[in-house]
Amino acid sequence: MPHLKSAYAKYQNDPGVAFLLVSIDEDAKRLQRYLNEMKFPFPVARTSADEAIRLMGLDNTPMTFYVDRQNIVRYQTNGSEAHGDSQQRVGWYIDQLKR
Amino acid sequence: MSRRAAIAAAVVLTAAAAFAQSPARASLERGIALWDERLAKSAIAALELAARDPKTAAAAHEALGRIYTFKGWQQENAFPGWHDEPGMRARAIAELKAAVAADKTRTSAQDALRIAEGFAAAEAVDPAPPRPEIKALDARMQSLAASGAIADIVAAIEERAKAQADPAPYFAGAQILIDRGEYDRAIAIAERGAAVSDRFIDENLSAYQLSGKSEGSHARGRATTADLIGWALFQKKSYAAAADKLEEASRLSQGQDFVNQFHLGELARAQNARDRAREHYLNALSLAGGPAPMRQRVTELANGIPPAGAGPGWLDAELSRRRDERRSAMLKSLVDKPLPKLPLTRVDGGKFDTASLQGKVLLLNFFASW
Repeated sequence: MPHLKSAYAKYQNDPGVAFLLVSIDEDAKRLQRYLNEMKFPFPVARTSADEAIRLMGLDNTPMTFYVDRQNIVRYQTNGSEAHGDSQQRVGWYIDQLKR
Repeated sequence: MSRRAAIAAAVVLTAAAAFAQSPARASLERGIALWDERLAKSAIAALELAARDPKTAAAAHEALGRIYTFKGWQQENAFPGWHDEPGMRARAIAELKAAVAADKTRTSAQDALRIAEGFAAAEAVDPAPPRPEIKALDARMQSLAASGAIADIVAAIEERAKAQADPAPYFAGAQILIDRGEYDRAIAIAERGAAVSDRFIDENLSAYQLSGKSEGSHARGRATTADLIGWALFQKKSYAAAADKLEEASRLSQGQDFVNQFHLGELARAQNARDRAREHYLNALSLAGGPAPMRQRVTELANGIPPAGAGPGWLDAELSRRRDERRSAMLKSLVDKPLPKLPLTRVDGGKFDTASLQGKVLLLNFFASW
């Protein structure tokens, strides 16, 4: 997750790009504690795990979807991508969709 | 009395005869009515029944022939998701010939047969034969591949590229140059291929019909370019730069390109990363495609680095497991599909307003704090 914060630094002033985190936490207090710690610079929303499984095919967290301007999912990546140069990888997906 | 009885019997017999012929006629009428409703399976069953009776055979065979003609050549997108059934084409001709044979004077059957035969003839025409000079120029490139002078190869690539604006000569040419050890030239040619590929797709955009399909073609062109450049850099032993390009190709092809996965495996092997190499070889083998000798080579390489504790037959077992996994992942994947409408709330419980996200490139990350 910290890699999303650093990847976001490149796009925070870009009006054509948005980041949205969606939590499937059931425990609101625990989630709030986590958010207080992480201080994400982009919006965070909540949904139920059941809806995420049914609608998004979620079978693991984290799971990232890259959605183009026409609202079509173009890439999806599973699992934590905190290894290697993940910040650059996140930027690469976004830049593909910005073309 | 007996006379009256005989008349009554005759009446009954006539009625019975009329009745005996009516099931076939009823079947024929029912079949035609069912087809008018586009209830194909039931229509065909009824018409096949009617085709057995000589009195209705010609009409029934004609109706069947018309249904199969529609199925074989005309139903593509007639209703959402419908496709032509090429397997029905021979059947269409056979039924219409049977109709004409059953009643030589039946002009409607003759017309239907002429139309079906016209479709069949049109289909035998190669829709886009490559121009002969393109074939010749491709052949010239390949004939120079193994031992022609490098300058001649480059000239052949340029000549072919000038004759038709598709990116194939750049990609094939870059591969030839890599095989001949001309890595920098190969990289330059591949890079030009990427730009040519984009232009070619944009010039012919309407041919793709769906934006997702043209996007896919753009990505394929870029993936091929990145893979060729990465492979040339690998041959130059610039491993870090090669990794960048080969991994870019893997993202663009969504890990679905046999040759690219093989290249990533070779890179990992050269870097003594056994597990990563095995992973890429297995990725490659669980995909369709790749020339047979290359598949054979990848199989040998994978077999040469079994995972710890693997018994005999591990490779086949692993590959079948991966194929199943890939299949279920593909079914679930949302790639190239519209983002589903997901009910979202704010962390404080209020309704989350998605208006500010509309029309933007969106990174959507699902997580749990546990």
